[in-house]
Amino acid sequence: MKTEHQPTPDTSAPVARMQGINKWYGSFHALRDVDLQVASGERVVICGPSGSGKSTLVRTVNLLEPFQQGRLQVCGVDVGADEITRAARRAVNRRVGMVFQQFNLFPHMTVLQNLIVGPVWGSGIARKEVEELALRYLQRVGLTDQAHKHPAQLSGGQQQRVAIARALCTRPQLILFDEPTASLDPEMVNEVLQTMEGLAAEGMTMMVVTHEMGFARRVADRVIFMDQGQIIETAPPDDFFDRPQSARLRSFLSRVLTH
Amino acid sequence: MTTHFVRQTLIDARSAPVAALPIATRWRRAMFPTPPMGALSLLLLAVFAVLGWRFLEWAVVHAHWLGDSSEACPGDAGACWAFVAARWKPWLVGNYPSDQLWRPWTCFAAFALFWIWVVRRSHAASLQRVLLGFILLPVGFFLVLIGGGPLPVVAATRWGGLLLTLVVTLTTFATALPLGLCLALGRRSRLAVARWLCGAFVEGMRAVPLLAVLFIAATLVPLFLPRGLSVDLFPRAVVAFALFNAAMAAEVFRGGLQAVGRGQIEAGTTVGLSDFATLRLIVLPQAVTAVVPALVNIMIAVIKETTLLSVIGVNDLLGAVEIGAKSPDWIGESNILTSGYVFLAVAYLMVCYGLSRYSRRLETQR
Repeated sequence: MKTEHQPTPDTSAPVARMQGINKWYGSFHALRDVDLQVASGERVVICGPSGSGKSTLVRTVNLLEPFQQGRLQVCGVDVGADEITRAARRAVNRRVGMVFQQFNLFPHMTVLQNLIVGPVWGSGIARKEVEELALRYLQRVGLTDQAHKHPAQLSGGQQQRVAIARALCTRPQLILFDEPTASLDPEMVNEVLQTMEGLAAEGMTMMVVTHEMGFARRVADRVIFMDQGQIIETAPPDDFFDRPQSARLRSFLSRVLTH
Repeated sequence: MTTHFVRQTLIDARSAPVAALPIATRWRRAMFPTPPMGALSLLLLAVFAVLGWRFLEWAVVHAHWLGDSSEACPGDAGACWAFVAARWKPWLVGNYPSDQLWRPWTCFAAFALFWIWVVRRSHAASLQRVLLGFILLPVGFFLVLIGGGPLPVVAATRWGGLLLTLVVTLTTFATALPLGLCLALGRRSRLAVARWLCGAFVEGMRAVPLLAVLFIAATLVPLFLPRGLSVDLFPRAVVAFALFNAAMAAEVFRGGLQAVGRGQIEAGTTVGLSDFATLRLIVLPQAVTAVVPALVNIMIAVIKETTLLSVIGVNDLLGAVEIGAKSPDWIGESNILTSGYVFLAVAYLMVCYGLSRYSRRLETQR
C-alpha cells in the first residue's frame, strides 16, 4: 500500500488484466469480449444501466463468477476459462478484497470477529497479530468503540464501513466495490464514500461499481461505461462527464445527471 | 391560515397512557362482545363444565387411591390410582435390579440438573453447549446403566418405563442429529453419488411409517445377519429410531442451510476462507441456530414415538402399563388399564408440554 496520493498511477505492472472475457448465464450473453487492465494504485469506476454487466464484471475479477472464454490475470494468478479451480479462487481471494452492496457481514459474530476470521482461519496468521491490525483498521473507519457489537446493532453506514475494514484486514492488493452505497439510506452514503476516498488517497487499487457520479469525478483515474455486457467507453473523469464520445453514454449521462 | 410552521421547542417523550378500563368491563368485552357471541361463550363453557365434571367424578370423587391389588378398585365408576401408585417402580425404571437403583436415579438427577441449567439459561448455556450436552449425556447414561468393570452388568432388556424413554430419546437425539446434518450436507454435495444416496435415503425414510421401520428392524434384520451374530432387540430398535429421525432432522437442517444466504458464503470466500472453513465458521453456526426450535419439535416427536417401542415388545412406559394391568395382582377390572393410560397421557403431557413451551421461548428470543 502506498502512503501518498499519486495523481498519475504507475501503469507498468497491472494488478488485474482481463483478455477477451466472455460469460453467459445460460443463453444470456452477460460479458462480451471484455478487455481491461487495472494498474497498481489505479482507481477505476464502472458505471452503466442496470443489467449492463458491471457487477458481473467485478465479480469475475475475484472468480466469484466463472467465465466461459478468455483469460484473467489477477495479482499474479493467471487463469484461463477452463482453469478456474478452487485453488485458483482461493489464491485470488487472498489477494483481492471485496465490499458488497448488502454488506454481507457475518451476523453471528462481533465486529472484531468479522474482521479477523478471514486472516486467522483462511491465511493462518496469528490471532494476536490480526487483532492489532483489525483494531487499527477499525480506527481508520472510525468504529473502534463498536468492536464488540454485533452487525445488527449498527447502522447501515457503519455496517458498510465494517465491511470495508474487513476487506482491508486481509491486506488485499486490490479491493472490489459492488455498488457499496446502493442499499444505504441517503444520509449514510457520505460516510461510506468518505471512507473510500480516504483509501483512494492512500493509493489503494480499487475497482468500484457505483452510481455516485460525484464520487467518480472526484476519485476515479478512469471511468468505464458498460452497456449490454460490453465496455462502451473508457475515459478520465473530465472527458467522461464533459466530453462523452458515444451516443449511448451521452444518453445515459443525460438520464443520470439531471437530478 | 398559515402555510409556514416552525416548531420552537421540541416535544419531550411522554409515557403511553395506561388502559383505564375496569377489569369487569374488559372481561365482559372478551367473553360477551355481542349477544350471539355471548351465547356461544356460555354454550362452550357449559360443555366444558359438564365434561370436566364427568372427568373429575371419575378421576377424583369415585377414585380409589390405596391398595395393592385389583380388589382395591371394584367397579368402573372411578379411577384406580392405587394401581398407578403401587407400581411406581416399573413406570420409572422397568425391571432394573432393586439393589442397583441408584444408577437410574443418578441418570434422572443428572438429566434434571442439565435441564434446569438449560432452561434457566445461565449465560454459559449457549446453544452449542446445550447441543453438546444432548450428545454427551446419553453416552454417559448408557455407560452407567449397562455397567461393566466395578459395576455389575444390567442387560438392556431389564431397563424400562420412563428410564427407557429417556435413554431412547437422548440416544436417538445424539445419533440422529449428527447423522441428519451429514445427510443434509450430503444432499448439497458436489459429488453426484453422495447427493443421490443421501436424497434417496431421506426421501425413502420420510415416506415409510415409523412402525414399519421398527417392525423391519425387529423381524427382518436378524434374517440378514450372519448366523451366530445376534443383536438385541433394544439396540436394533434404537438404530431404527435413529435412522428414521435422522431423515427428519436432515430435512430440518436442509431448511436451515438454505436460510443462510448466498452472500454469506461469498463473503466467507472473499475474506480468504476455504470452502470447508466457510461451512464450519459461517454457514453452520447460522443454520443450526436457526433450526433449534424445529429440532426441539423433533425431540418432542421422538419422546412420543417411544411408545411405539411397546408394539415390538420393548418394555417402555406404555409397555409397562399394559404388562402391569395383566399382572396377577391387577387383572380383572377394565378400569385399571384405563387409569394406567390416563397416567401415561399425563406423564407425556407434562414432559412434552414443557418442551414445547421451551421451544416457543427459543422462537420468541430471536
